[in-house]
Amino acid sequence: MIRSLRRAADRRRQGHGRYDWLFSPYAGDELVAIDCETTGLDTRTAELVSIAAVRIKGERVMTSDSLDLHLQPPASLHGDSIKIHRLRGVDLNDGDELGEALEKFLDFIGNRPLLGWCVDYDLAVIDRQLRPLFGFGLPNPCVDVARLYRREMHRTRPQLEPTMNFERVAEALNVPVMGRHTALGDATTTALMYVRLKKGALAAS
Amino acid sequence: MVDMDLSQPPFTLLDDSGRERVVRGVDLLYFSRDEIILDAGQPGEFMYIIHKGEIAELDPHAPSDQARIAHYTAGDLFGAISILKGTSRYRFKVEQESLCYAMPRSLFEHLCCDYPAFAEFFRRGLAQKTRLLAERRAESGVNMAGFMLARVSACMRAPLIVESTTSIAAAVNRLNESHADSLLVGNNGRFGVVTKTDLLNALVMEGATQARPVVTIAHFELVSAGPDQYLFEALVQMTRHQVARVVVVERDLPVGVVELTDVLSYFSSRSYMVSLELEQAGDLEALARASARLPALVQALMAQGIKLRFVMDLLAALNGRIVDKAYQFLIDPRYRVQSCLLVMGSEGRGEQILKTDQDNALIVADDSYWPDRAMAMQRFTETLYTLGYPPCPGNIMVSNPAWVDSESGWRRTVSRWVERRDEASLMNLAIMLDARGVAGDTRLLDRLREYLFDSCSHDELLLSYLARAALHFAAPLTLFGTLKKPRHGIDIKKGGIFPIVHGVRTLALECRIDETSTLARLAALAEQGRLEADFAADLGEALALFIELRLKQQLTRLDGRQNSDEPNLVVVQALSSLERDLLRQALHIVKDFQQRLTHRFHLEY
Repeated sequence: MIRSLRRAADRRRQGHGRYDWLFSPYAGDELVAIDCETTGLDTRTAELVSIAAVRIKGERVMTSDSLDLHLQPPASLHGDSIKIHRLRGVDLNDGDELGEALEKFLDFIGNRPLLGWCVDYDLAVIDRQLRPLFGFGLPNPCVDVARLYRREMHRTRPQLEPTMNFERVAEALNVPVMGRHTALGDATTTALMYVRLKKGALAAS
Repeated sequence: MVDMDLSQPPFTLLDDSGRERVVRGVDLLYFSRDEIILDAGQPGEFMYIIHKGEIAELDPHAPSDQARIAHYTAGDLFGAISILKGTSRYRFKVEQESLCYAMPRSLFEHLCCDYPAFAEFFRRGLAQKTRLLAERRAESGVNMAGFMLARVSACMRAPLIVESTTSIAAAVNRLNESHADSLLVGNNGRFGVVTKTDLLNALVMEGATQARPVVTIAHFELVSAGPDQYLFEALVQMTRHQVARVVVVERDLPVGVVELTDVLSYFSSRSYMVSLELEQAGDLEALARASARLPALVQALMAQGIKLRFVMDLLAALNGRIVDKAYQFLIDPRYRVQSCLLVMGSEGRGEQILKTDQDNALIVADDSYWPDRAMAMQRFTETLYTLGYPPCPGNIMVSNPAWVDSESGWRRTVSRWVERRDEASLMNLAIMLDARGVAGDTRLLDRLREYLFDSCSHDELLLSYLARAALHFAAPLTLFGTLKKPRHGIDIKKGGIFPIVHGVRTLALECRIDETSTLARLAALAEQGRLEADFAADLGEALALFIELRLKQQLTRLDGRQNSDEPNLVVVQALSSLERDLLRQALHIVKDFQQRLTHRFHLEY
């Protein structure tokens, strides 16, 4: 609700700006799976470390045409998150600047619908970074694969309480987990999960 | 971002930057069950690499039971041929939901352009792929280079050293006790060598007495080698000095002797020793001991990457010798010259590698008188059993009176079989066609075979009846079950070996070819122009591949690692992708051959 109000306000403000095309409705058949690695789990303080996006066209996951961005090490990069995504400060020294990276990201995703695992979290972090620099949040419609999975499970097997762990879901959907805790790997896995769910993986078995 | 396994051919033919291009350029695709990825006649836009799942290649124009051409699972490639040819010849259908990497046509063509070896991989024929497999096996197993790099110390035996005062008689005693061929005599810190030949020359030619000290006939110019030298250097030394042994010397003291026979048997990995042991076997017990060493010999030869047909030839010869020896031990020479022992089936064709069931028969000359023949044959069958040949379940053995007959009796039997041409008779004819004489008077068999050819080779109807059996197991791939079955796989005996062997046998009968081995028959057929030389060679390779796959399973059973009771069943999922590729192509060739047989013997309906 709040999101759509903000989107309406953003659209009015961006009416004739460089990014007004992002606000027009999407007519194609592609989606973009996104994932980011951040410095923490709190959407108010976490900063971006890397962003990845993979296009999905029909049943094809276009890994050959994907985006994998590493950013300059943010100030809040510390040990706990490094243990998870394994990107140290030195690994990021030749990364993009935040503004530059977000620009590439926007150009890549365009106005296609987005897809992610618990995508609200990624959106919140990206929006927080995007707003001061560009003056708007991501206007794209979003699909949360975790929620989609829960709904499908509930529909096909109402008696079960689904486990909502990323690896377990991947296993249940018979999807290989590619490079866990790298942004691109998680984005690819999420994309595969989505394709499987759309093709009725749960209904069949 | 894809976790692809690029450690298998053809990706090993690319360099790192090429593999990087593959990883960057592929997409991921999901297919659900029964989906058709590529239909016959469609243009090939992608080469697919299966990450997970199973995909079948089907011929949409063939009847459903023969439609299945190939089966692909994780790690396999398909679609490349469709790109090269422009359109797909067959239909690719998903058997089990699959995740595939798809390499776009443009990337594939660029890779083919930039890496000629990569392109070559997809254009190669079966024979060349087999060679690739053999090379790989040679890498993984013990190869010849390993043998060549062996040191002298690995193969020397302890020296037999005697005092200078020892007499010739005592020296001969010592030699016999230790089964040696030579001894060393110490004399004032120097050592001389005395060989059996030296002793013989001294005693016989020079008339030396037995009491004469052995030191007088010793040679003190030793041909020596160090224990750290390469074995082949020792071999070179022996050749250069025309001697049969070198003395291994370390710090002026003899520490060992290397005999020529040791080196040779080392190089040939015991094959020489086994055949020697066989020849020397003086009784049944020794024969059984030698016969028990054959499986280990096969394993060693295969590990060296020796071509299967040579191993088969060697084993056929050795098995033949064993049966012949057993026959000699048991049967009185009087009866031996009046009879001919035949081995049949795979043994007759020389295609059995490990010991298979006994399949044998006996032809007795018409004028022979052999009162207790039945008993002798019973004993012979039992003896073969103790030598490690299990009895034939179909009772095709000399202990069965139906398979022992006089020459004219056999002729009548053959005529009866030809007349009846029911299933059992046709099978018996096929068995008889493969018969090979191993002991006794083989002219008896030659005459019988002439008679067989005379009565069959022009009988078109009989030939087509006979050929029909080769088409009996026409759907070799329907036995591919789903993954869920605990033990499944394709029966390569029914689906691969039998059609080739039987089809070639029928053609050989038609062309009156005396050879019994399938490979030799193929060569003869090619020579007569009955088959194209290329096709005959491919058939031979396909057969060798099937036999090799079966042998591998039999050998693992020998090792006790696996406990499957059906070595003919090959579990496709357990093969490497190169082997699967070979198997697929070999089955193609079988299918092609079956179609030719259908055409030739008019078996279309």
